[in-house]
Amino acid sequence: MNRQELTNLRSLAIDKQQKYKHKICVCCGASCISSGAEAVLKKMQDEIKARGMDQEVEVIPTGCMGPCNQGPLVKHMPDNTIYQKITEENIAQIIQSQLIDKKPIEDILLFADSREKPFVNANEDPFFKKQLKIALKDCGELNPESIDDYLVHDGYQALSKVLFQQSPEEVIAEIKQSRLRGRGGAGYPTGLKWETVYKHVNDHKYVICNGDEGDPGAFMDRSVLEGNPHRVLEGMTIAGYAVGANKGYAYIRGEYPLAIKRFELAIKQARKLGVLGDHILGTDFNFDVEVRIGAGAFVCGEETALIASIEGKRGTPKPRPPFPAESGLWGKPTLINNVETMASIVPIINLGGEWYSDIGTPKSAGTKVFALAGKINYSGLIEVPMGTTLRQIVYEIGGGIQGDAPFKAAQTGGPSGGCIPAAHLDVRMDYEALVNLGSIMGSGGLIIMDDSSDMVDVARFFMEFCMDESCGKCVPCRVGTKMMHDLLQKICDNKANSNDLQRLEELAIYVKETSLCGLGGSAPNPLLSTLRHFREEYDQRISKPVVNSY
Amino acid sequence: MTTITIHINEKEYQVAPGKTILEVCRENDIEILTMCHLKGIMDVGACRLCLVEIEGVNRLLSACTTKVGANMIIRTDTERIKRYQRITTELFFAERNHVCSVCVANGKCELQQLGYKVGLDHIRYPFLYPQCEVDSSHPWYVMDHNRCIMCTRCVRVCNEVEGAHNWDVMNRGYQVRVISDFNTPWGESITCTSCGKCLHACPTGAIWPKAIVQGQLNKKPEIIEELMEKRAMKL
Repeated sequence: MNRQELTNLRSLAIDKQQKYKHKICVCCGASCISSGAEAVLKKMQDEIKARGMDQEVEVIPTGCMGPCNQGPLVKHMPDNTIYQKITEENIAQIIQSQLIDKKPIEDILLFADSREKPFVNANEDPFFKKQLKIALKDCGELNPESIDDYLVHDGYQALSKVLFQQSPEEVIAEIKQSRLRGRGGAGYPTGLKWETVYKHVNDHKYVICNGDEGDPGAFMDRSVLEGNPHRVLEGMTIAGYAVGANKGYAYIRGEYPLAIKRFELAIKQARKLGVLGDHILGTDFNFDVEVRIGAGAFVCGEETALIASIEGKRGTPKPRPPFPAESGLWGKPTLINNVETMASIVPIINLGGEWYSDIGTPKSAGTKVFALAGKINYSGLIEVPMGTTLRQIVYEIGGGIQGDAPFKAAQTGGPSGGCIPAAHLDVRMDYEALVNLGSIMGSGGLIIMDDSSDMVDVARFFMEFCMDESCGKCVPCRVGTKMMHDLLQKICDNKANSNDLQRLEELAIYVKETSLCGLGGSAPNPLLSTLRHFREEYDQRISKPVVNSY
Repeated sequence: MTTITIHINEKEYQVAPGKTILEVCRENDIEILTMCHLKGIMDVGACRLCLVEIEGVNRLLSACTTKVGANMIIRTDTERIKRYQRITTELFFAERNHVCSVCVANGKCELQQLGYKVGLDHIRYPFLYPQCEVDSSHPWYVMDHNRCIMCTRCVRVCNEVEGAHNWDVMNRGYQVRVISDFNTPWGESITCTSCGKCLHACPTGAIWPKAIVQGQLNKKPEIIEELMEKRAMKL
């Protein structure tokens, strides 16, 4: 396959799709499947066929559309009408009124049960209107299991562009100009990382895509991998070209069987098409990708532990330096980026680094995907420009707190992050602002809590998570998290005194500063941030100081 | 030979590049506490006792795994480091069941020495008192998990020096244990060569020969280094 053949194939695929008058997208993300989307899809396909409409109506499964707790979702294109909570009984009605009578069905429109007037065009709904989809752009509109569909959505155009028009240096310059920062949590500038790997001269280099998303309540990477696996694959291939690697690994956690299945299918399709493997698009560039499946350890999301896991060893982190960019997988220079970062590469190449850097805040460019969960009316997957306030996310996109209860806190960054109290609802969400509040951006889990949440218990929950997930290699994390958990449990049980709290604070700082890797280094964050913003809840449970308790 | 200039505790040193901070400090009689470090095997930076402050680096770095760089300004003796060394030592003692008075290693134990060095007079954290096994199935040696501090020196020495890889680590968090083969009794191991290197590598009384009683343990951790040096000469 050369460049011309790819263009021809793309035109063929576009022609094929333009024959259809209607497109019915059935959301087949993991959460919609769990509420019965596959039966809906099958029934829809059968019904369309039975009525002889299959020449003008295309029915496809898609990735996540966003409002996950309203699933299963069915979207009609080009009208952009989304129907919620669809069962097999609704199918005939949808076909009749949406496709034949051209009248939307009011009572099953998206958010029909909570909005006074639901929107026929879903893009006008505040849930979508306030969002800006870049990484998730085609998610929910294309069939993740069809490479033709991806080609229609400008698939592999970015790869073709870099291979024929740009040198690796130019690609890196473009990424640097975009000011894209790593979406895995730490926010290291992606262009700089690529450049470091590029500069290390070695016969073998590797690209790793980190899809070991383990934070409780986070499902961004899963949705991207399930909804648009080719986009991630294309991003990895571009990364391989830029840094000079010929081999890539996608490390996906074992709890995501659908993501693994779709990504493996995407690899097969891409190899067959000649956009992956030897002599990509007829050039001298070779790049292949393999999937590695995680075995359930949270610590394997830490880059050095992930590398050890790919090497077939026990997943434990190594001290850095040396950083993976210098000595990573099998001691070779290795580029390791998160799924969402990889998914942002293609639009940056297509539309330019300058375009991307204009979005967001001065220090954090672009958009961020959040997994909105907890006591919020519309939970699901959202993508907003950096700098969107928490209030906009909670009240405009998320539709406010369930039962109009008062907002208490938003937990960002999972077990490595912290809680943002109501006083800071107007914080503009970017890397620096969240760090200033004692939290972190993290991978994008956003758990909204109302006044029924007990913040000490929240801290205890996350500490228990870190205690269980600590790999046990270094002392501060192994024993320190256990000690902190026991002390938090003591406070929850109303058995602690002020000496216990003092010891807890001392341990928290100690574990944060001395741990070997990021897991231990950030494990005290939920504790420290709740202590900072909700200290009164700790004080209420603590008895008077005991003199001479030692 | 080219040398680089570094500062340790406000004193200037000319050292060869490529060495770790720990090596440089030991050569110059600057005390750095360690537990998981053993000359002759790879460093893993697990015990976090050798952490040092480096100017311009916002994290504490382990001296055993960090190489010296030109013009590095290193501090090994700040109040913060001393405080953290003490907490680490306390956590070592609180984690499992260390009872010096009945231990074979009493008087020769590196953990005990560490306690003296950091001035440990009491432990402020609750003892965890885990239920630990004592594996005495091997004909000559005993593995007592109550005294293990998970430094993994035995694991590394078995893998890197003896090449047997009898020892490995299982579980996560505070439930980690050193295991023989796939967690079978040591005596049934098909990989163990009974060489006894793990016994000499062990800093505490966790691995010891059967024929001794309290305080009689005579470990020679330095034989690992000697062995590796002799091997290197042969090559």
